[in-house]
Amino acid sequence: MVDRIDRGTDDFERELSNQLRARSAPTGFADRLMARLPAARKPRSRWQSLWNPAWSWAFIAALVAVTVLGGLEHNRQQRIAGERARDQVILALHIAGSTLNQVQQKVNQPDGSASDHAGKSSHTIDLTP
Amino acid sequence: MDESPQQFRAIVERHQGRVFSIAFRILGDSGAAEEVAQDVFLELHRTLRRIESEEHVTAWLRRVACHRATDALRRRAARADTVAEEYKDGMGLRPAIREVIPLLNRVEQLLLTLPPAQRSVMLLRYQEDLEPEDIAIELGMPLATVRSHLQRALKLLREKAQRTLKEYSRG
Repeated sequence: MVDRIDRGTDDFERELSNQLRARSAPTGFADRLMARLPAARKPRSRWQSLWNPAWSWAFIAALVAVTVLGGLEHNRQQRIAGERARDQVILALHIAGSTLNQVQQKVNQPDGSASDHAGKSSHTIDLTP
Repeated sequence: MDESPQQFRAIVERHQGRVFSIAFRILGDSGAAEEVAQDVFLELHRTLRRIESEEHVTAWLRRVACHRATDALRRRAARADTVAEEYKDGMGLRPAIREVIPLLNRVEQLLLTLPPAQRSVMLLRYQEDLEPEDIAIELGMPLATVRSHLQRALKLLREKAQRTLKEYSRG
């Protein structure tokens, strides 16, 4: 090699290429390497291979949406039930009020039997809230 | 790429010489070179799913072998604190390297006297026959740096080779 060095860079570089050809790996290199490989992974099932990680996030998002919407719907139902109960109470009070009014009118009729009580219940009853 | 053991073994057998040579010529130590080369292939096995083609495998192995061998060299230098001696002169090789010198040819011995970055660049240029542009891409180095490493390394090697010749002729 050294003889050729003085002839110039081309010869020197050619000599570098010759001397730097790839060496052989030590005997048994591949066997030792294959023995170090981690145990083969279990093949993925059909469902596992179809499963996409993005689907997990979509599933979580859907679950959150269902929970939130479910909560809102529950509140709405409770409000409607409350309003219905209030209406029923108002209706019941109306009925009771009008019944009492009718009773009072009968009591206030200019009938002798009822006149004794006229002074005690001279007001109309309004039970409307 | 296919991860099956048969397929992987075929890849190892095709590229083991290349990877081992890069590690050996950067480290100058057969045992350490085998350790590095095996780690490089194990890393390849872990990333094989992301590798697209045979060309990609070759480029990946060259790049990772250079980086891992240089890292190992740095770790060794940090432990022994004597690697600086290697750069001064080819004859100033540390004892561990001097012991394996009979296993190295003249160019490999001279190569070990270069700084690690220059060794990698020279190996990719003269062992792997890559153009400076490709070396720059593979090592993630500016092209000007690659050219500068090549010029300096060649100059150093020529000087050392001439000095060795003179010493040899003096007897």
